[in-house]
Amino acid sequence: MQSKLSDIELIEQSLAGNQSAYADLVKRHQRFVFTLALRFAKGREDAEEIAQDCFIKAYRSLASFQGQSKFSTWLYSIVYTTAMTFLRKKRVATDSIDDENTFIQVESQESGYDTNNIENKSRSFYLNQAIAQLLPDDATIITLFYKGEQSLEEIAQALGMETNTVKVKLFRARQRLKEKLEQNLKQEVKELI
Amino acid sequence: MNTIEEKLWNYIDGTCSPVEQDAIARLIEQDKAYAQKYQELLALNQEFAAMELDEPPMAFTYNVMEAIRAENAMQPLKANIDKRVILGIAIFFVFTILALLVVVFANVHVSGINISAADIKLPAGVKLPSTNSVFSGPLVKWFLIFDVVLALFLTDAYLHRKKTTRQLQ
Repeated sequence: MQSKLSDIELIEQSLAGNQSAYADLVKRHQRFVFTLALRFAKGREDAEEIAQDCFIKAYRSLASFQGQSKFSTWLYSIVYTTAMTFLRKKRVATDSIDDENTFIQVESQESGYDTNNIENKSRSFYLNQAIAQLLPDDATIITLFYKGEQSLEEIAQALGMETNTVKVKLFRARQRLKEKLEQNLKQEVKELI
Repeated sequence: MNTIEEKLWNYIDGTCSPVEQDAIARLIEQDKAYAQKYQELLALNQEFAAMELDEPPMAFTYNVMEAIRAENAMQPLKANIDKRVILGIAIFFVFTILALLVVVFANVHVSGINISAADIKLPAGVKLPSTNSVFSGPLVKWFLIFDVVLALFLTDAYLHRKKTTRQLQ
């Protein structure tokens, strides 16, 4: 069961040496951090490594968190930097969306899913598939905006960008996501016919 | 210049000014193309918002907390090696040696150039213990044997540690 205390209260308790308070913080944010990590990593194992690394880094620098922003915004900035460092280390190919060879991460994320039967596929599957085909930056901005309860200003803070840049990037990312969704659905219909 | 789509997204997100908001709302009411695009983007927006988050492995929190605990456990070992304590001991020994040297040199009277004939006079009332009986033959031998055994033991421990580190790497 998750704690009803606020993030700030849990941070104060963690700093006072209460490790279970930090465990509650991890439980509260792990799904989102893991999803964000998946936007950058190829598979679940790498995403888990990134996400774990983020929470350890956050714990180490918890004392430096001044509460000027939301804890989630601060945490997502750690996720972004850690994931970028991870990408640089692993040299994962981050091809352009227009590139025909753009890799699809869906297999690793949706393993065990029957991909031949269109009726079994939910809309969220198509959405996840399309998101996985986006560039990590685009996928991250979309995820932060729709699921991270972050305003454009907070996303800009987390990613170290200007608010206007994020606004433009969000617009483009949504357009690309829409294109990808349409493209994937057309492909499925073609396969059925 | 903003496209229709961009304007509508700003309208949906609520990131445009109140004046722009009113203008777009009017356009949606009056212009069929705007209304159609608005409905399309609204549906898309709802779909994006329904995106599902991925679930990390069951043991994720446990693994994170274990890693943190392991890191915390390392800290007391570091704290034991307090550089200030080492510095304090070093300063104590340096001052003691310096004080002894000052006392000794202050009491040395060198007569003539011949160093071997130096006449060392200790302060009145201070007597050096006789070392002849202490450094007798058997004692020196046992001391040397102990030194050799200790040196062998330390060398063995050092080589063993080095080997273990290499295997771990």
